Amino acid sequence: MTGIAPLALGPLEARGFSINRSGIQWLVPDGYVCRANEVVGYCNISVEPASGFRPARTPFADERELQVAFAPRVAGRIRFDSQSSVGGYLDNLGVQPWNATTVIAHLETDEDLEPQTPQKDRPLRLLMLAGRRMTGLADVLTGLLPGWHSRARGWWSDEGAPSQTLLNLGICDALGPVRGDRSAFLELFESLDEGHVVVVPNHPLAPCAPCLLEQFQRSASEVQAIKANITEVVLNGPVEATADDWMFVGALLGALDQSPLRASFDLLTPEGLCKSRRPSSVLLSLNAEGPSILRHKTLGYRLHVLRVYQQAAGPAVRAWMASAFEPVKRTIDTIQEDYRQLIDGAGQDGHVQFLILNRMSTSGREDISTYAPFDAPMGDTLANVASKELNLMLHDLSRERDVAIIDVDAIAAEFGGGYHIPDGVHQSGAMQAEVRAEIVRAMSRGAA
Amino acid sequence: MNLLLDLKIPKINDYMSSALIEKIYVSEGAELTSGSKILDFSIDLSSAFSQNCPPISYYRIVAREKVQVRQLLKAAGEYGVLDEPIALFSHDAAEPLGEVVARALRVMTAGIVHHEEMWSGR
Repeated sequence: MTGIAPLALGPLEARGFSINRSGIQWLVPDGYVCRANEVVGYCNISVEPASGFRPARTPFADERELQVAFAPRVAGRIRFDSQSSVGGYLDNLGVQPWNATTVIAHLETDEDLEPQTPQKDRPLRLLMLAGRRMTGLADVLTGLLPGWHSRARGWWSDEGAPSQTLLNLGICDALGPVRGDRSAFLELFESLDEGHVVVVPNHPLAPCAPCLLEQFQRSASEVQAIKANITEVVLNGPVEATADDWMFVGALLGALDQSPLRASFDLLTPEGLCKSRRPSSVLLSLNAEGPSILRHKTLGYRLHVLRVYQQAAGPAVRAWMASAFEPVKRTIDTIQEDYRQLIDGAGQDGHVQFLILNRMSTSGREDISTYAPFDAPMGDTLANVASKELNLMLHDLSRERDVAIIDVDAIAAEFGGGYHIPDGVHQSGAMQAEVRAEIVRAMSRGAA
Repeated sequence: MNLLLDLKIPKINDYMSSALIEKIYVSEGAELTSGSKILDFSIDLSSAFSQNCPPISYYRIVAREKVQVRQLLKAAGEYGVLDEPIALFSHDAAEPLGEVVARALRVMTAGIVHHEEMWSGR
């Protein structure tokens, strides 16, 4: 053992506001040997106006989940301070002021801790986590980023604002690698030196390119027209609305009314509060581009809701979707043009790099000996032919726009698709790790 | 010579235990040729419990030999477990159904895109 490093909380600054924290919730047992940058515990925090201060706006006002996760900068054996946790609600609620010098644990390490290095001076890294609840009713207090969020994000709070923001608008194949096993970005940030990562989930609105573009371009009057129309359906439609309908409509209105591509974000750092830049990278899933989406017959906006989430709606919303919308078939050319418009639209206010996960396009259990039984175009019937054609389209797109392909197809072939991605979408942990590494590499190339 | 043939729920991946019959294209007594569509089925790796994003994939079974459909043991909307017979076939229409199955029908299996004629598309 080379040394013992006291793990103090370290500085967090929010001028004019007080930062309070809960007791520490440890994620590993006392005496655990951790890796460098491995999150070992966390606490909940709150940022509230200091006594006598009346701010124009309160940061994180819509992000009721605000947490700090702790990760030692170097590997070693962690020993908890006996006072770090008190249990019960006091480990959930912000009952203690944030004090940079408070030591919550010690780290026994074999690594040299050179003076005047971050490893020596600030051995505990702070991973900030913020979640915007879909509803204030979803107040789950325990766990990392618990509850139902319309947006979740994380960033290393080492110095000033992170230099890049990755906005993840993918579906399951992109969500798993980014959020990881604990759904709190832990694995991603273990391999990401710095950065800010934002995830907007795909419920109820699936993030296909035309819907994202319309979110980005929708005017206030168009939002009002959509709200009035949906409200009329729920209140006075031919089918009586149930609680499921109201829940679905609330979530849908929230999604239609906001463009994650336009959002800016509060950040809490050791140097103070700041705002993030607009997303520098956007992560999408080709799997989100359905061959058929819906278009509202009178208002004209497009809607894509995965079938599993259509089932989550009540009878009034399902009847409305069946009668007020018409299906729009999308060819590969249509999808490519939708991507072009989204990329160009999002890039009008500044360059944005797009990272797109392609599709698994082979199956070891498929045994097609002749294509004669299948009508042309075969991409309309055969799933793997459709995937190959869409993947090729992405290559064409990447030649004309700044698009980095996250080659899930190649990774799956290398790992073995039957075991690691059995349904073509949902990956094993090992495959998620490789996809995650590819995302990090693409972000690095984009930043360079 | 006994030439009763059967078609069973095939093992598409290591995690599956059952399949949902989504669409049956043939009827009892129908003559099939190589290339005839027999049925579509789906596999949901989340089993009988729906989850947020169920890992469902869709497949089609196509005949690779000339046979007659003798008996359908499953209907669209029904589940079958792995290796459970779905249908019986024979080359000779007079082949007794009570005989022991001689072998599996020669088929090919293809992953397909979900379509509206499927049971789950209704």
